[in-house]
Amino acid sequence: MQSKLSDIELIQQTINGNQSAYADLVKRHQRFVFTLALRFTKSREDAEEVAQDCFVKAYRSLNSFQQQSKFSTWLYTIVYTTAMTFLRKKRVDTSSIDDEQTFLQLENKPGGFDENNAENRSRSFYLNQAIEQLLPDDAAIITMFYKGEQSLDEIAQVMGIEANTVKVKLFRARQRLKEKLERNLKHEVKELI
Amino acid sequence: MNSIEEKLWNYIDGSCPPQEQQAIEKLIATDEIYRRKYDELLQLNNEFMLAEVDEPPMAFTYNVMEAIRTEKAMQPLKARIDGRIIWGIAAFFIITVVAMLAYTLGTVNWSSGASVVKQVELPVQLNANKLNGIFTGPIGKGFLFFDMVMGLFFIDYYLRRRNMTKPQ
Repeated sequence: MQSKLSDIELIQQTINGNQSAYADLVKRHQRFVFTLALRFTKSREDAEEVAQDCFVKAYRSLNSFQQQSKFSTWLYTIVYTTAMTFLRKKRVDTSSIDDEQTFLQLENKPGGFDENNAENRSRSFYLNQAIEQLLPDDAAIITMFYKGEQSLDEIAQVMGIEANTVKVKLFRARQRLKEKLERNLKHEVKELI
Repeated sequence: MNSIEEKLWNYIDGSCPPQEQQAIEKLIATDEIYRRKYDELLQLNNEFMLAEVDEPPMAFTYNVMEAIRTEKAMQPLKARIDGRIIWGIAAFFIITVVAMLAYTLGTVNWSSGASVVKQVELPVQLNANKLNGIFTGPIGKGFLFFDMVMGLFFIDYYLRRRNMTKPQ
């Protein structure tokens, strides 16, 4: 019954003191919030911590949600700022975020590329692997655009930048993703030969 | 100038103006390079949509709700008191003080000259014996008993809350 309610109705119920309505809201958005957090933190434990923190923060400031944007856009703004603060706290400054070397280790991480049976790997497996290898901002933009049902304007709102800048960033992120995907697939073909 | 790829991505996303949209549509239909690139990017776009969303741990929702419950329980008592109660108490005292002042001023004999207040007469002659009777009678005992029960109830409630918020 509860799952049929809209986000706004669930928010209203939560504000009126119904905590189980908020639990429904968490269930509805947890997968994407967790994925978005994972794009930044690159570790499941950290992503869980960030995602949990986001939902607690959202609960705390639910009264300030003006309903001028989608709830998801408002929530992703919290995820974005929380994840950035988390990265800063972990002493990963802007220069090291932009430094591809930081994430090169992911390409050779155990349990990933070289150890699984190639036959079991689908295209989406390689795609997710390539996304993991992207820089946090690129990975977040790709994820929000393709999986978060966010428009360029909404992504701009989440990241606090101009929509045109998002357009350029999305274009570059797609190019990098394409390169990574091609490189991973080439590597795989070589392994098979 | 935009590259072919950039133009085509804008076309696929539908983020370019209608005129440009039509121009690109024409180019795809007539230009072989555009058509090939468009097919390639369209395929890539469809592939990007297949990206999977990760699943958080099973107890994630429970953990979030537990964190919220703990945070609420740890709020100081000051923050939980409804402001309206404070305003109600303040209003009661203000009205009482104003009423007493008004009554006192109303009983003053302003025409008596140098001495401002000669004698303020209370409306009822207070009898100390009568007052004692109030506190020793059944009403007074009942009131004290009610106070004691309420006191025990609030102490019990406070201790329970304190035990619940204690970290395990």
